[in-house]
Amino acid sequence: MGSWSVGNWPSFDPHNFSQLRPNDPSSKKTPITYHPTHDRTLPPPDQIISSEAKNILLRQFYQRGDEKLRPKRAAPENLAPEQECKHPRASVALSSEPPK
Amino acid sequence: MYRRRHNITARIFDRQIHTPPPGTSVHRARRFYENIVPSSTIYDVECPDHSFRKFTEDGKYLISFSRNHQELIVYRPTWLSFSCKQEDCDSQDLPQKAKKFESFFTQLYSVPLASANELICKDFFLYAESNQFGLFATSTAQIYDAPATGGAIQGVPSIEKITFHLLRLEDGVVLDERVFCNDYINLAHSMGVFIFDDLLAIVSLRYQRIHILQIRDSGSLVDLRAIGEFCREDDELFLNSSTQASADKRGPQHLLSNNIVNVPRTEQPAQESPFLSGIKQRLLSFIVRGIQNEEKDETLRIQTLKKKFYFHFQDYVDLIIWKVQFLDRHHLLIKFGSVDGAVSRNADSHPAFFAVYNMESTEIIAFYQMSSEELYLLFEQYCDHFHIPSKSSPYMNFISSHSNNIHALEQLKSSKNKATSFPLFIKKVLVSLPFNCQSQSPSPYFDQSLFRFDEKLISAADRHRQSTDHPIKFILRRPPHTLKFKIKPGPEAGVTDCRTKRISSFLFHPILPLALSVQQTLFLQPAVVNIHFRR
Repeated sequence: MGSWSVGNWPSFDPHNFSQLRPNDPSSKKTPITYHPTHDRTLPPPDQIISSEAKNILLRQFYQRGDEKLRPKRAAPENLAPEQECKHPRASVALSSEPPK
Repeated sequence: MYRRRHNITARIFDRQIHTPPPGTSVHRARRFYENIVPSSTIYDVECPDHSFRKFTEDGKYLISFSRNHQELIVYRPTWLSFSCKQEDCDSQDLPQKAKKFESFFTQLYSVPLASANELICKDFFLYAESNQFGLFATSTAQIYDAPATGGAIQGVPSIEKITFHLLRLEDGVVLDERVFCNDYINLAHSMGVFIFDDLLAIVSLRYQRIHILQIRDSGSLVDLRAIGEFCREDDELFLNSSTQASADKRGPQHLLSNNIVNVPRTEQPAQESPFLSGIKQRLLSFIVRGIQNEEKDETLRIQTLKKKFYFHFQDYVDLIIWKVQFLDRHHLLIKFGSVDGAVSRNADSHPAFFAVYNMESTEIIAFYQMSSEELYLLFEQYCDHFHIPSKSSPYMNFISSHSNNIHALEQLKSSKNKATSFPLFIKKVLVSLPFNCQSQSPSPYFDQSLFRFDEKLISAADRHRQSTDHPIKFILRRPPHTLKFKIKPGPEAGVTDCRTKRISSFLFHPILPLALSVQQTLFLQPAVVNIHFRR
C-alpha cells in the first residue's frame, strides 16, 4: 500500500483509501475519482448470484429431456431421436419393421 | 529451463519453493508416491485364517470376516516398530519376529454379527466415512422357487431374513439394524445397496421397491421413503381412501377388483389393479410423451405411438427395477430390465433401460435404452459424475477414470476404434452402470497418470482375479519410465501345482504404502497372504 501513489489508479468512490497514510508524508495524493459514463455494465437490480445446485451431468439430462418433451413447432430437428425410443427387440421379432 | 527431478529429497526442496498450478495440489502430493512404493514383500505371512475384505476408505480399519461367516473382526493398520542399530541398515533383512501379521495390524475387536442360521455376506460392506460407521449384511439361506405372495414378483427368489447392521467401527458397537423379511436384495458386491453421504438406497427386487434410508449421526437408520408402488409418502393413504370410496358406491360385487390396495399381505391378490401406480406410471407416461412429441402431424403421431409404444406396451409394463444409484441427493439412476435378467448371471443378453428419476418432484427426467449413443456420450464425458463425489472424502474424487485421466481415456478410445460394432461397444461399456458403490480402491498406486500396470491382473476394482506366477509390474508413466515395484501374490517360490486354479485379490491401503495380496484356491485351503510394504 505504500506504493499506492505510484499507480495513479482511479477509484469510483473517493472515500476509499482515505485512511491510507502514504509512506512519503509530502505527497498528498488522493485517488482520482472515476464514475462510469454508461450503465451497460451494471448488474440488474434483482440479480442474485448463486451456484447451480444440479451438477453438470444432471443439467445435461434435464436439457435433453426438455428438448424431447417440448412440442416441436418447426420440422423435427436431427436430435437422433429414434435411438432413445427403441423398444426391446428380444420380445417379439417383427419382420416387417425396419431395424432402426 | 526447469527440469523435474526424481530424487525424493530434491522433490521435497522443490515443494518448499514452488507452488503447484491451481487445482492440482492433490496431484502434486500424489507424485511423492512415485518415490515411496511398497517394494518389499513378506511372503506367506502367518496370519489368522480370516477372509480379509478391504481397508476402509480413510485407511483406519481393515475389515475381515471369520471363515464361518459369523463374526466380524476389525484391525487397525499400524506399522513395523523395529529399529536397527547397525551401520548399514538397508541391506539387512528384517528379523523373523518382525515378519508377522501382528507387526502391521492390531486387532481391535471381534463382533458376532450372525446368529445361528444366518451368515454374514462377506461381499457386502459399505462405509459411511463421516461418522466411521460400517454397514454389514447377514442373511439366511436363499429359497429359489418362492411363491409370489403379497405383491412380490414371480421369478425372483426369496430370502427369509436379511438384516443390515450398522456398526460404529471405533469400538464395534452395533448401533442399529434393519430387517427385511421374505425379500430379495442383491448383496453380492453390494449391488443392491448404494450409499451417498448419509443416504442409503436399498433395492428390494422381490417387492420392487427402492427404500431410501438416512443414517443419522446418532447411528439410527431412519426411513425416508419407499419408491415403487407409491412415489410420494402420502400416495398410499390417498389411493386407499379413493378406492374405498369408489368401492362403497359400486357395491360389494366389485369390492374385490377395486380394493386391491386394501388387501392385507397374507391374502392372495385376486386380480390386478386396473391402473398402474407409482414409478411405473411415471416411466410409461414419460415414454409416451417423448414419442408423442416426435411427430407434428396428428395421424403420423398415432401411427408412431402404435408402432413404438402400444405394440410393446406389455414389455414396458413388465419391466422391473434391477439396480439403483444416486446421482445426487435428489436424483436416482435406475436400471430397468426384465425379470429373467434380474437373477441370471449373464445379464448382458437381456435388454435393459436406464432412467433418471427425481425423488422430490417424482418425475422421470430421462429414459435411455442400453445401447443409447446419447447416454454413452454423456458417460464418456462425465463419468466422474456417475461416480458420485462425496463431500467427506475428497481424495475419492481422484480415482482414475476416463473422464479425469488422459491415459484411461486413450485406452477407452482405442477400444472404441477397435470395436466392430458401435452399439455392441456401447452396451459393453454401459453394462457397468449403475456403479457398485465403493467398489474402487482410492490408492494412489492405481492412479493411471503415475503408474502403468496390467489391468487384467490388477486394478482399482476389488474383485477376484486369476492368479499368475509372474509378479505384477508397476512402471512409471512419466520419465524415467522405470519399473518401481512388483506385486507377487502367492508363495515366494511360486506354485508347484499348476493344475489347481488360483484366484488372487489385492487390498491396498488408501494412504500408506501397504498392500495385502491374498491368493486362494477354490478348495478352501488356507489362503496365502503376502504383505507388501515399503521398508
